[in-house]
Amino acid sequence: MNQFNIHRAYSIARKEVMHILRDPFTLALALGLPVMLVTFFGYAIDYEVKNIKLAVLDRDNGPAARRLKEIFPASGYFHLVDIAPGSGPVAMLDSGRASAALFIEPGFSRKIKGGGAVEAQFVLDGSDNSKAAALIGYLPGIRRAAQVRLTGSPAREPSSFAPALLPGASKKRGSAKLLFPPNNPAGPRQYYPAGAAPSAESEADPFSAETRFLYNPELNSRWFTIPGLAAIIIGLLAILLTALTVAREWENGSMELLLSTPVRPLEIMAGKLAPYGILVLAGVFFVYFVARLVFGVPFAGSHVLYLAACLLYITAALSQGLVISVITRQQQVAMQLGMITGLLPSMLLSGFIFPVESMPEFFQYLTMLLPPRWFMAAARGIILKGADLGELAVPFLALGLLSAGMLALALKKFKTDLE
Amino acid sequence: MKSFSIKTESLKKSFNGTIALAGVSIDFSAGLLHGLIGSDGAGKTTMLRLLAGLLKPSAGGIRYDRNGVAAAFGELRPSLAYLPQAASLYPDLSVREHLEFFRELYRLDAAVYSKRSGELLEITRLDKFTDRRAGQLSGGMYKKLGLMCALLRSPSVLLLDEPTNGVDPISRRELWELLYGLAADKILIIVSTAYMDEAERCARIHLLDSGRLLASGEPRAVLKQTGAVNFEEIFIKKGAHK
Repeated sequence: MNQFNIHRAYSIARKEVMHILRDPFTLALALGLPVMLVTFFGYAIDYEVKNIKLAVLDRDNGPAARRLKEIFPASGYFHLVDIAPGSGPVAMLDSGRASAALFIEPGFSRKIKGGGAVEAQFVLDGSDNSKAAALIGYLPGIRRAAQVRLTGSPAREPSSFAPALLPGASKKRGSAKLLFPPNNPAGPRQYYPAGAAPSAESEADPFSAETRFLYNPELNSRWFTIPGLAAIIIGLLAILLTALTVAREWENGSMELLLSTPVRPLEIMAGKLAPYGILVLAGVFFVYFVARLVFGVPFAGSHVLYLAACLLYITAALSQGLVISVITRQQQVAMQLGMITGLLPSMLLSGFIFPVESMPEFFQYLTMLLPPRWFMAAARGIILKGADLGELAVPFLALGLLSAGMLALALKKFKTDLE
Repeated sequence: MKSFSIKTESLKKSFNGTIALAGVSIDFSAGLLHGLIGSDGAGKTTMLRLLAGLLKPSAGGIRYDRNGVAAAFGELRPSLAYLPQAASLYPDLSVREHLEFFRELYRLDAAVYSKRSGELLEITRLDKFTDRRAGQLSGGMYKKLGLMCALLRSPSVLLLDEPTNGVDPISRRELWELLYGLAADKILIIVSTAYMDEAERCARIHLLDSGRLLASGEPRAVLKQTGAVNFEEIFIKKGAHK
């Protein structure tokens, strides 16, 4: 008798647009917030570890030692700190005044000049393991640069040593030896310390392996964070916007009146999804321009595909908001629930920060229920790798299913009475 | 013209153990203006929500008749209009925007709408305030706007929950005149009110007290039957809180 009527859905949508236009807060929230947050966090969140305080104990004081010292700050990652009087490099590490220390033994410059192999010890603070891991990652590059500067021979040695993090007395410290083969390509292997096996990459071997990073050759962490950040913020915004709408009708008392009219739940839901969907989509465009113009994130894939992924993801997020709204019926509770369910899982379980592959098995399955996980995969795939629909079939399918499931849940929970 | 009547049979409703209606049987006969009279907490709102299909009875039943033949609620629903007691309009939408929104929900023709809204604006005397937002209307004007939204589609059954509550005496009189005008069309109107003096304005009254029916019938017959001077006296004599 009373089927879905597109005109009634439209009238709900039109009314919703009037609410939005008359509520500058919602409008500002929807259009301004994503750009602001992406810019703000885009600058703040940086996986690259920079400005590492390096204490150098130079017992050599020769020209080569000075050159080695200069290489560290020249990399852009380190700056030198003076060792406080009466203190040593280790004490500097213990007190947190330095994060890494470099020991240069006497005779360093003399040995270099004589064409011999030299070594310098690099000790680092392992109490912050993500920082330590990043530092270790810089070492091969430093070593190559040092090789060139100290011996004049081109760097042919890729990272061929693995520094171990050793637990220290008071805190974890890691130590690595920087080995510099002599300016004598004939036999560099003999200079490796016992126990550290010469690697297959060394020049004398027939195979040589070199690491090259695809899609993001400089490992620019912003290229990685910004698409993910956009996903989180857009999702949160979509959830918050719709979480309030149905709850507002209940709090306002207008739901009682609406329910006594011929309007159907599906019409109310469609009418509420459409305008907010468009609003969030506008947010996506703004964020896109910020990502491209401000952060210079490249876009390798298809824009149409990205838009399709956005639409699916926005639908899922808006529907999640509707479910919250329909169940809570109170704006404040809906807001809190929207914040928690919109922010925490997408931050922590979507692969934004922690790779899904390294989570315990249970969580790997759990994340499958989260739209941000799939959108994150799709967005990074499209933006950085230029993946096509065939390669992203699973994320797209999952997003579609989750959207449909969420909508069905909202519809099921939508009450047509006041019980 | 569809003529509906509604009968409740030992209608019971409780919320988490609190009894709102304790078995109430009322005959809301067709074409009359019925008054559901009772103080706060008597069960008036619960009764109207049950009649409007917004609540489900805990026990007992509601019988809807169309032209004397039993009808399902679904047949009545398209011609039922309900005005909730609590504020239920959108404060940021104007009078005109409300009317247009409900026009779209009811799918009214442009011609029907313009005639009907013109009439309603005239009799409610809101025609000068069509651009004013609902949030800025006075109590009486707000109620009138709610009524207009409900009346826009010419209902056959009109349920009004305390339309005169919190409205100044002049506006109350105007609202009642509006209701008389509607009653002249022989539609079924059920109005709830806590104002005893409004009982005399109804063709039939049903006195509710703490979820029980105290008396039912024509106002004068009810007074005569109970031997009371006025309606307050009935509540004082027979009510639960004596």
